[in-house]
Formats: sequence, structure tokens, C-alpha cells
Amino acid sequence: MQQVLYLKDASIFQGDSLVLSDINVEVNKGDFVYLIGKTGTGKSSFMKTLYGDLPLTKGEGSIVDFDLRTLKEKDIPFLRRKLGVVFQDFKLLTDRTVNENLLFVLKATGWKDKKEMTTRIEEVLNKVGMKTKGFKFPHELSGGEQQRVAIARALLNNPELILADEPTGNLDPQTSVEVMEVLQDINKNGNTILMATHDYALLLKYPSKTLKCDDNQVYEVVQKKN
Amino acid sequence: MSSSFDKYQKRRLISSYFSVVLSIGLVLFLLGLLGMLVINAKKVSDHFKEQVVLTIYLKDSAKDVEIKQLEKSLALSDYVKSTEFVSKEQAAESIKAENGEDFMEFLGYNPLQNSIDVHVKADFVTEERLQVISEEALTKSFVDEVRYDNDLVTLMNNNVKKISFWILVISGLFTVIAVLLINSSIRLSVYSKRFTIKTMQMVGATKQFIRRPFVWKSVRLGMIGAILALIGMAVVLYYVNQTFPELNLMNNTVLLVVLFVGVFMLGIIITWISTFIATQRFLNLKTDQLYY
Repeated sequence: MQQVLYLKDASIFQGDSLVLSDINVEVNKGDFVYLIGKTGTGKSSFMKTLYGDLPLTKGEGSIVDFDLRTLKEKDIPFLRRKLGVVFQDFKLLTDRTVNENLLFVLKATGWKDKKEMTTRIEEVLNKVGMKTKGFKFPHELSGGEQQRVAIARALLNNPELILADEPTGNLDPQTSVEVMEVLQDINKNGNTILMATHDYALLLKYPSKTLKCDDNQVYEVVQKKN
Repeated sequence: MSSSFDKYQKRRLISSYFSVVLSIGLVLFLLGLLGMLVINAKKVSDHFKEQVVLTIYLKDSAKDVEIKQLEKSLALSDYVKSTEFVSKEQAAESIKAENGEDFMEFLGYNPLQNSIDVHVKADFVTEERLQVISEEALTKSFVDEVRYDNDLVTLMNNNVKKISFWILVISGLFTVIAVLLINSSIRLSVYSKRFTIKTMQMVGATKQFIRRPFVWKSVRLGMIGAILALIGMAVVLYYVNQTFPELNLMNNTVLLVVLFVGVFMLGIIITWISTFIATQRFLNLKTDQLYY
């Protein structure tokens, strides 16, 4: 099994305050891992540490072959190219269309060939079922559609790990399930996904390995099967 | 429906660019005007200084040859710009024209003297130099008196110094204002995109890649503003030159070209640097800090 994420005795600080301590986590290639916990237990801080928005100052950690302890500011963009990040609030570029959003990512990550870029954009939009909406602006799409585009964006560079920080947090239950189906499909195609959520209904519907943040700790919980 | 929305969006964008361009343009225009003033300050002050007349009054007994000789030697000396012999009849005529009454009629004779009007070169219009010149003229036996407006000379020299000093101060002040004003309009336009910038970072774009389009856009706005400023400067230059052709404003072609190019470069450099700093500021912030 190939490891894509591993943390050993790591502590996460938000400013000066300790959020999580003694984290020991391993994620292998092809896994689908939930990260659950109440609001304020440090799920987002945990995710931020993984994509380099918070520095890891204590403990060991490595993600897609980047050492989180020694991560330099200038390496962060290159770490993020090997990750796909999906946010609760979608974070699409609102001043351009879906296609241009995706095109920006490709250009920013070093793609040059125009034809290849167009093909790749079509591919990822097709995967999330948004092939016909490429010409639209984000504000012309529903929340669920925007989140699908965000997932498509995360897929562009074939990331070794997709970090989804409450991807269904802003969506209604029905749409949540649709977005979840997309994530499940992607996982079946071999992508590794770490998803933070507080939506227990989804956990029950799509059971998988689950980590829980509580009381400054992260530990694995075993789901009871009925 | 959507096209009218797009149009509205575009108009809104254009008007926000418009204010940036306008502030850059206006500030550069004022700076350019000051620059032209500085370039031509010496010329303008020289122009006024050379209006100062040193009049050498000659005794009636002076011979034509002596007068001619004095005039010639004055004309040859390096401090004199021009000389003009004014006979007492000419002097009487000009006084008559000025006052509108003929004083010779009730006096019965012409009390005026023949004189030579000397226009001294601007660099020599100082109290000391004029003193020396007049003393030299007084050594001639046929010279009766030398007169010039000493107070005017002192006043002018003091004022020229004061004015040049203040022009420099104001130019400096304007440069600072220019930088601050342009900087703040650019900061605002970058600030409005701070979440976009953060999102771009989240998807793996390098700082340089994100910064480039911002810098390029501002520099383009800076160029447009600078061109507007240059057009304004050219118009002003043209009209001033038409109104005061004696100042020969166009003569300093090299300096003027340097000034025009300089203003254009300043437009680019200021927008470049302030966009760079503004984007860098938001690029270096962590996501949480964006909300403060």
C-alpha cells in the first residue's frame, strides 16, 4: 500500500492556541476517509495544515511526498498541484466562466498546449456531469453545480489526494447526496479522498474509514454495521 | 437579460478603471507641468531679468565719436545683451506719448539728456555687477549719470530664489501625492480581488503567476493615464508657446523629450511598484487574515 498522507505525534495550532495534539494518521492510496467532528473541533485547521495554509510546527508529517515540517513558502504551490482541494464555499473565481476557471488552473500549473487543455477540461466536466455548463458564470449555477465544478477543478491535475473540507456543508440533503455520488465515483476510479464533514447521514449512507476530531484529539472510529 | 447584466458589469468595471486612469493622468499631468516649469524656470526668470534697463545719461558735450565708441565697447563686453542709443528728442517723444502732454511747450526747451539704454545679460543682473558696470561707465568724462532700479533688481533676485525653492518643494510634494494617490487606487482595486487571489493560490498557482496579470493590467492603466497626461502637457505647452513666443519654450527639445518620456516611465513605474506591493501583501496573508 502506498502512503499518501501520514502524521506522527503532530500538533496543530491556530495562532497560539492548541487545536489538536498528538495526531497519528495514515491515509493510503485509494482510501476514502471521513474526518468528522463538531464545529470548532479543528477539522478545518487540520485540513489547512494539510494544504499548507497553516504551518505544522510540532510533530512529523508528510503528504504526497512533501514534508510538512520543512515545507517552504515557495513549495506550497507545488504541493497544492498534487492535491485537489474542495471547499465548503466552492471558491470558484467569480469573474470568469466555468471553462475559464478550469483553464486558469491548467495555465497556472504549467499546461501549455491549448488542445490538450480543452480536452482535459471536457474530461473533468464530463466526470462530474457538467459538460454542458462550461460557458456559464459561477453565479449562474446552483450550489450543487458549483460544487461539482469545484470537484472538476480539483481533478484537473490527477491529484494524488483530494482534500474536501465540508463539500456538502452548503448544500441541501438531496444535492449533498448527488455531490457525494460524484466523490464516490471518483474514489472508485482510484483517487484518494479525505473528506471533512459533519453530515452523519452521509456517513451512514456511504460508510468508510472514519476519523473523529474531539477533545483536541483525532482518533479512528469504527462504524457499527446494522 | 444576461446581456444587459453583462453590459452593466462591464460598465461598472470600466468606470472603476476610469477613476484609476483619471487619477494617474491628473497627477502625472500636474507633475509634468511642474517639470516644464522647472525646465523653463531659468528662461522665464532670465526673460524678466533682461527687462532691467541700465540707463547711461550722457552730457550734452559728449561727442558723437565718444558715444559711438562707448556703445561699441559696451556691445562687445560679455555682460551686455543689447544697447540702444536714445537721443533726447526720442526721449521727449516717448514721454510725450506716455503723458499725453507736451512739456516742451511750457518749458520752452528740452531738459532731457541723450542716453544709452543697456540691457544686461540675465546672469549679470545682480546688485554687485550692476554697480561695477555703472562705476566703469562713470569713469568716462562725458557720462553724466548712470541709473537703474536697484530695488527692482534686489527684489527680483530674491523672488527668483524663493520661487525656484518653492517650485522644488511643490514638485517634491506632488510626487509624494502622486505616488500615494495612485498607490491607494491600485490598492483598492487589488483589495477587491483579495479572495480571488487567495483562491488562485489554493489551486496551486505561484505568486508570480497570480501577480503578473494584475501588474500588467495596472501598468496598462498607468500607460493610458500617462498618455492622457502627455496630451494635456502638449496642449498647455502649445498654448503657452503661442501666448509667449518670446520665452522660446520649444527650444529645450532634448529636455522636453526627456520630461515627456520621464512622465510616461513614471506612470509605468509607479503603477508597477504599487501593484506589486499590493498583490504581494495579499499573497502573503493567510486565508484567515483576509477577513480582518
